[in-house]
Order: sequence, then C-alpha cells, then structure tokens
Amino acid sequence: MRYEYTVETEDLAKYYYMGRYVVKALDGVNIRIRRGEYVSIMGPSGSGKTTLFNMIGGLDRPTRGRVYIDEVDISKLDAYELAWLRNRKIGYVFQTFNLIPVLTALENVMLPMIFAGVPREERIKRATELLQRVGLGDRLYHKPTELSGGQQQRVAIARALANDPAIVLADEPTGNLDLHTGLEIINLMRTLNKEKGVTIVTATHDLKMIDVSDRIVYLRDGKVQRIETRAEVSAEYEE
Amino acid sequence: MSVGEWEIGSIELPFSEAFRITLENIRKRFVRAAITTASIILGIAFMVSILMMSQVQQSATGVVEGIRAYQYWLLFISLLVSGVGITNSMLIAVAERYKEIGTMKCLGALDRHILTFFLMESSIIGGIGGILGYIIGLIAAIIYGAMQFSMEAVGKALLSVGLLGFNIPAVISLLLASVILAILLSIVASLYPAYYAAKLNPADALRYEI
Repeated sequence: MRYEYTVETEDLAKYYYMGRYVVKALDGVNIRIRRGEYVSIMGPSGSGKTTLFNMIGGLDRPTRGRVYIDEVDISKLDAYELAWLRNRKIGYVFQTFNLIPVLTALENVMLPMIFAGVPREERIKRATELLQRVGLGDRLYHKPTELSGGQQQRVAIARALANDPAIVLADEPTGNLDLHTGLEIINLMRTLNKEKGVTIVTATHDLKMIDVSDRIVYLRDGKVQRIETRAEVSAEYEE
Repeated sequence: MSVGEWEIGSIELPFSEAFRITLENIRKRFVRAAITTASIILGIAFMVSILMMSQVQQSATGVVEGIRAYQYWLLFISLLVSGVGITNSMLIAVAERYKEIGTMKCLGALDRHILTFFLMESSIIGGIGGILGYIIGLIAAIIYGAMQFSMEAVGKALLSVGLLGFNIPAVISLLLASVILAILLSIVASLYPAYYAAKLNPADALRYEI
C-alpha cells in the first residue's frame, strides 16, 4: 500500500496555558508532505518548530486539529499504538544526538529493533549494515562518549532508520555541529532520502539545509508564513 | 490489531535484553548505584547485628530474653530511613535520565518497559545491598559477641535454630531474610520514582536539560 501523503496536518494547534496567559505555540497549521519528500521547517526560535516536530512525531497531543501519518489520524491511537508508530513508522534525530550513553553504537542502533522483536542475528546484521552505510563501520563497539559530535549524529541517523520508517523527523540535526560536519550530516540525510525513499522532515534554522530541501515551510508565531520549493528559493537568491 | 491500513504489531522487551541494559546502567553509573546500595547496606547491617547480638547473648547467658520492643522500634525506624534514602536516590536517578527516558519512548518503549528498567535496577541493587549488609552486620555481631562473651557462644549462636521462626541455622536464615527484605524494601522504595519515570510525557522528557 502506497500513500501519496506521508504527513498531513489539519488546522493543527497547540496552546500552552501559563496562568492567565495563553501561548499559542502552533495556531492552525495545514501542511501536506508527500512520500519521499525532503522538507525543511524553518523559522526563528520560538516559532513553533519543535512543537510541530513533537506533534507530527506523536510525542505530544495537540490542543486542536489533526495529524495524519500515512493517512491514519494519530489522535485516534492509544498508548500502545502510539509506541508502535514511534517504533516502526518514525525515526527521530535530535539536536543533542540523544544516544543511550551506556550502550555502544551498535547497541544503540539495535535498540529500536529489540522493541520491534527482530531476532538477534538479524539485528546485528542490519545494525552493522546501517552503521557501515553512514560511514561508521569501524566504530561499532564505541560508546557515545568515545565518538565525536558528527559521529554521534551519524549513529543517531542509523538508529532512526533501524526499522525502515516512513519518515525521519530531525529537530535541528546540525544545531550542535560545526559548519563542515553539519554539511556532511545534511548531505548524508539527503543521500539516504534519495536512496531509501524515506520522507525527511527537519526543523532547522540552518540555511545550508535549503540547498537539499525539496520544499521549505516557513513558520512564524505558530503559523505557516509561506511554503516555497527549492526552485523558488534559488530564484530569490539570483535576483 | 489494525488501524486504517496498518497492522499494529507487537512491542517487546525480552527479559535478557532488559537485564543486560540494566547491568550496563549500574556499571556506568556506579557512584549513584553505590550510594543507593549504601543506604540498603546500613539498614540491613543494623538489622542483622541487632538480631545476631541478641542471639549471642542468649547462647552465652542461657537466658531467653528475646528481642526487646524498643529494638524492634529501632529496626523499623532504620529500615524506614533506609527506604527513604533509596527513594531519594532513585528520584535523582530518574531526573538524571529524563532525556534518556524520552529517547527510549521515541524508539518505541512502552511505559511498562521504563518501569521494568528501574525496578530491575532497584532489585539488583537491593540484592547486592542485602548481601553486603548481611556480611557487615554479621561481622559486627561476631566482634561484639567475641569481646563481650566468647567465640564459643558466637559459634553456638550462629548455628542455633529457630531465629525468625525458621528451622535452619541462624547464619542462613539471616542471609535469606536480609536478601529478601532488601529486595522488597528496594522495590517498594523505587515504586514511586519508577512509576513517575514511566508516566513521563516524551515531549516533556526530551525538553528537560540538566
């Protein structure tokens, strides 16, 4: 079964109530992301990028509106189904890498497969392949503290792809990396996006991300300001 | 089970994998685990020494005094203090791992898996604390007995039958009691921290910075 849209949001809103004040982190966001697309969500800090990331990733419940992943309304899922969704359908990449510090690179990549019930030999084989694919074939048994920031993020990307998800959600994946390493990570994600056909959604304010994105969603004060394709952005630069 | 076009499969955490990750956790965060263990050791050592000393006294004097009410009261208080120490230590352990818990949930962990990790950790710590507490308490009682009475009385007391209502030598019944009580105490004291960790909303857990 193939779906045209991997992610769809409908009047998505998230309000935080701080005493008498209401903070509208998201306020009526409608976006549709096609299968295999590479979409960047751009905006200044506080624009609602991370909140949108949490909503699409099934990590938090919206105040209003709906999120569809592969045309399934995820607000209808119970806790068990949500865990399954996070395990099989979505891969997460974070700004701070978030590897489990007590586990090796290989064990970190295998962890989602343990939850998915993949047999041990198969787990080791697949995790090794993924780590080789991201260029860490010689770092399988290293703990996160023995890896550089860029290497840790590569492990995190391999882990995000562990169960062959429909989407990889990346929240500021280059935020803690230097310019050069950041560029390597961006290019790696773009290559994997093409290779595996996995949909990638990144929340970022890294302008380097524009070059590889199919579309850029500009978010401001919890609303979609505009959506541009890469061709349009390039045209703007040339003017 | 299916939702829309999806076949919702199972989410698992085999016991062996949970156990392995828990051991790694204890090894890597040794200081935290050691502090929690110390809390158990103190409580159990106190219990063992009080019970054993009264046993030595009995075998030396031949007077069956039993354990006085105030000693039970002391025991109760010491185990309570020990339990509060464990709860405190486990709450800090949870706070240290907020982000890890959030990440685990992103990777597919269910609430009960998080609960399993923390309770398994506290049972292991409880077991180790129980054994060490037993050894320390016993040594203290033996030294006390040998100095106050004689080694002979100590030996008789160690092998005497009937302590705590068990029909086995005191030296073994005390070990069993220490380990079982330490594990139970550790689990009960960790219930709230573990439950709190399991119920964390992943978005909140990820946001947390230390």
